[in-house]
Amino acid sequence: MSQTLSNGLFGAIGIVAIAYCLAAIGLNVHFGYTGLLNFGQAGFALVGGYAVAMPVMNWQWSIWATIPVVILASSAFALLLGIPTLRLRSDYLAIVTIAAAEILRLLVSTPKLVNVTGATDGINSFTDDIQNSIPGFLKGRTVPLWEKNISDYEMWVMMLGWFLVILFSLLVWSLMRSPWGRVLRSIREDEDAARSLGKNVFVYKMTSLVLGGVIGGFGGAILVIGQRNASPGSFQTQFTFLTYAIVVLGGVGKVKGPIVGAMIFWFLITVSDSLLADWTDGSGFQLPEWIMDSSNFSFFRWILVGTGLSLLVIFRPQGIFGDKKEQAFDVR
Amino acid sequence: MASSSFRKLVRLVLAVLAFTALFSETAHADEETIQVRVQHTPVGGKKEPVEGVEFTVTDPSGAVVAEGVTDAKGVSKVTVPSDGAFTVTIDADTLPEGLGVADGQESRTLNVTAGLGGNANFNLGEAASKPASKISLLPKTLFNGLRFGLVIAIMSVGLSLIYATTGLSNFAHGETVTIGAVMTAVASGWFTISAATGGWGGFIQLFAATIIGVLCATAFSGALELAVWRPMRRRGIGLTSMMIVSIGIAMTVRFIIQMYYGSQPQSYAQFGSQQNINIGPIGVTPRDLTTGVVALIALCAVAYLLMKTRTGKAIRAVSDNPDLASTTGINTERVILNVWLLGGALAGLGGVIFGLDEQVSWNMGTKVLLMMFAAITLGGLGRPFGALVGSLAVGMFVQLWAWGFSNYTDLKTMGALLAMILVLLFRPQGILGKKERVG
Repeated sequence: MSQTLSNGLFGAIGIVAIAYCLAAIGLNVHFGYTGLLNFGQAGFALVGGYAVAMPVMNWQWSIWATIPVVILASSAFALLLGIPTLRLRSDYLAIVTIAAAEILRLLVSTPKLVNVTGATDGINSFTDDIQNSIPGFLKGRTVPLWEKNISDYEMWVMMLGWFLVILFSLLVWSLMRSPWGRVLRSIREDEDAARSLGKNVFVYKMTSLVLGGVIGGFGGAILVIGQRNASPGSFQTQFTFLTYAIVVLGGVGKVKGPIVGAMIFWFLITVSDSLLADWTDGSGFQLPEWIMDSSNFSFFRWILVGTGLSLLVIFRPQGIFGDKKEQAFDVR
Repeated sequence: MASSSFRKLVRLVLAVLAFTALFSETAHADEETIQVRVQHTPVGGKKEPVEGVEFTVTDPSGAVVAEGVTDAKGVSKVTVPSDGAFTVTIDADTLPEGLGVADGQESRTLNVTAGLGGNANFNLGEAASKPASKISLLPKTLFNGLRFGLVIAIMSVGLSLIYATTGLSNFAHGETVTIGAVMTAVASGWFTISAATGGWGGFIQLFAATIIGVLCATAFSGALELAVWRPMRRRGIGLTSMMIVSIGIAMTVRFIIQMYYGSQPQSYAQFGSQQNINIGPIGVTPRDLTTGVVALIALCAVAYLLMKTRTGKAIRAVSDNPDLASTTGINTERVILNVWLLGGALAGLGGVIFGLDEQVSWNMGTKVLLMMFAAITLGGLGRPFGALVGSLAVGMFVQLWAWGFSNYTDLKTMGALLAMILVLLFRPQGILGKKERVG
């Protein structure tokens, strides 16, 4: 039991949770504050992840030099998506973003590009600079977290990741208190009203798309650095919908929403995976085999996510911390 | 005494045999590796590897199970879902300049052994005249595009009608397609009308199973309307929430199917590989011809229903203006339920045909969902006949893209999605859309 709980604790603050938390902060800017239905956050994360891995592998860049590439590439992707769709009704954006994210994923997994993107296996061994930059007090040690041991590399990436989470949360918090943020929220509440006040709605939506996209790009970057591998399998459409589940769980349009949401979400997922593995491993308490066995229990987490997301949206759309008066659903 | 110990020995041997049979049964399900090597021997020289040759691996039913491209050593390893017979076909268009492969030598059928995998070696010769010019393949490409377009059309009519009557972009529609196909595959194991594979016997068996599959898809679609969408509309929950709920439902159903149907794609046993019938320049298998005709009949029936019957007129009225329709005495709730039932049945039928074209897998609906969205967006969101026009455009485009560029399945999807984005740039209301529906 304590093994399960320490796994869950690591799940809640570990690299994957951080990566999804960053993606959720970005999505919160789009969906929570501006009301943009971005269904392609996986695409932004993919752009960020490959923007780190590809220059290091193909042109032997330092990994630190790829930070501006992450920003530029995610912004460029946001512009590409925004120009055809932001003038249209919101479901066009949804369909185009999900399609664009899939196009990117299919593109990087093409065997023809194996020398550039590594195709389905992806890119490995681009993280030497991170390994070498581990500070002296961590180097060569493992950090115990209850019953779980965290390696020095993981711990270092987690520290970088949480730094980014705090940085971007503060940025979003201050921006949303600024006049710019208030215009975004007014667009979410009533686009025509904002337009009639002389605001250029298109430009505001576009900057919001870029900002959230860049934050999502950093989420992808942390994910590939943490996994030491950038591959298309990490950026399937599920990535986007998990991010939605996190945003809705934490509270739409709240700065702390994505952080709390990601921690709770990954705690629950890790604990349930761990319990189900325990209940199907052939010893102790066992679930009946017709329900699930050791070969198929791992799909159950997705069933949980899907059902949980549906129930949340229907019965508690404001999530844990959200305010029912200020929710981003269905304003337009 | 002696005979009893002999009996024991026999029992022991039988037990061991049963155990090994059990064991090899599990080994059967494992993935196997095929190593493909492409080489070229210049006149009087040593063998040289050939890099960058694309190839596809197909199973006996003709479905593509793997694709790859050779590396600098002229080698590529691909995994196939099981052991058995597979055919490796190299794409003659990707051979380097001056190299060619003799007619009939571009394919190699090999037996993949469990645990050992298989090898396919190709030795290229000097270039002969090209086996088949691209232009001569064009009629077949157009025919395939038309057929593929019809299949997408029957699947996406429901998606489009649902959008038109309720405003919902239903992301669970892909799962309706999967349910139709998967339940047909499962149901064909429940009873035996005819054990024949291929021919009329196989057709009848599959037809009976299809009825069950389509009924399951219809029931799923209708149950969702009654249990989820109608109560949500009553509670005044808006469209964005409903869209996200449809994604949640899609995920739930998709992974339930993966849990209990399995991750392994399967083919309908009743229709194995078939010989082509030649109609003019187009070679077509009886299977493809039948499914094409079935799709066409289904579409004509839908068109008749929409244009001529009372139900159809009511559907069109509600999709034009729900409020006006309900003030003229149309029971909108019933019309919407009819749309969900009709859409579910068509999606299920489309799933069965799609499963015949490719394979029946747990995520086939998800794969085709974005193409359906591309089709109805191209045709004009919410226009009933827009789905048809858009689907034909997507089908044609996908096949022409494959003909012109590359036959990779994934790249085909990519082409369709790119086309949709381009159309949105220049004609956001789609081909048949009305301008005021946008923005």
